[in-house]
Amino acid sequence: MLRAELAVNQIITRFSEVISHTVTVSGVLWLAITLAFYGVALKIFRASRGHPLVHPLSITTIAVAGVMWLSDVSAAQYREYASLLHWLLGPATVALAVPMYNQWQNIRQLGAPLVISVMVGGIVAPLLAWGVIYLTDAPVAIQMTMLVKSITSPLAMETGAAIGGIPALAAVFVILTGIVGALAAPLTYRLLAVTMPDAQGLALGAVCHAVGTSKALQMGEVQGALATVGLGLNGILTAIILPVIF
Amino acid sequence: MHVKSTLTGWLMITGCYLVGEFFVLVTDLPLPGALIGLLLLLGGLLLRQRPAITVGRGAKPLLTHMSVLFVPAVIGVGLFWAEVSENALGIVLALVATTIVALGFTAWFAQRLMKSRRSDKC
Repeated sequence: MLRAELAVNQIITRFSEVISHTVTVSGVLWLAITLAFYGVALKIFRASRGHPLVHPLSITTIAVAGVMWLSDVSAAQYREYASLLHWLLGPATVALAVPMYNQWQNIRQLGAPLVISVMVGGIVAPLLAWGVIYLTDAPVAIQMTMLVKSITSPLAMETGAAIGGIPALAAVFVILTGIVGALAAPLTYRLLAVTMPDAQGLALGAVCHAVGTSKALQMGEVQGALATVGLGLNGILTAIILPVIF
Repeated sequence: MHVKSTLTGWLMITGCYLVGEFFVLVTDLPLPGALIGLLLLLGGLLLRQRPAITVGRGAKPLLTHMSVLFVPAVIGVGLFWAEVSENALGIVLALVATTIVALGFTAWFAQRLMKSRRSDKC
């Protein structure tokens, strides 16, 4: 019972920290700035008919970083002010269960080939990245962080920490991987003649997690659903396997 | 607008997340709490076997606007600028080149595998 009490306390403490950082003048201000830029970024994104170069995430981040630079706010401070947004990633990850449920028939029908394909992507992507970073003599912490780059960021940050990587860096690697994949997907698929919506979505989700999934959703309902499956399955498998190996 | 059911759905999702976090803390499992929450919600929906209307409404804003939730994490690159710029070449190569190769290979592989399976059935 004591363990349960400790756990509840820890969850409450974390949540009240988030709230107390948010309900300050700076907290509200930075949240408003971020959401305002995001609103503008969405308009630009829609006006461009969803070109990945103007992905709302990159535009919002660049604009927020600009204001931070002008007002002398450090990255650490901003992360405190905007901790509510970061906290919401937890529920957002859980919400991925909904599209997975809606496509359950599709998943069951595809069965083993689907699981095998996701595993192939989940093994090839991190191993290739690790090989390259290993050859350039990067520190072990960066090497470990590379291994989690293909899974969704809340899972990547926790798994990265568990195997001796750097959680905040994991989040950045994950996002950059996603943006690269979302940008490169249409041309890559055209060059390799990947026309099957299921395969297009699955690879985006398994290799490029949530950013890839939002690109896949934009390509179509089937792509979006399979991307969600790829993201969920690869996230689950990687998060379970890596801590066991290291 | 379905304010009430959206809010209920959101609370159900957040509830699953918190139970997942609680479970991970109590059992000391090296798994992320959000992952357990996801499995819980998926399991619950599969048991009910009905369209996920309320939970779906709660999930929609979270899923459509997930990008904005990543902003604090990306801003965090500033904290590791020294490590990143020292190893910039390797990181860029590892992130850009291998992601494209892995994405293309996975999609190509999946297409071959799933196509053969589909034609088997027909």
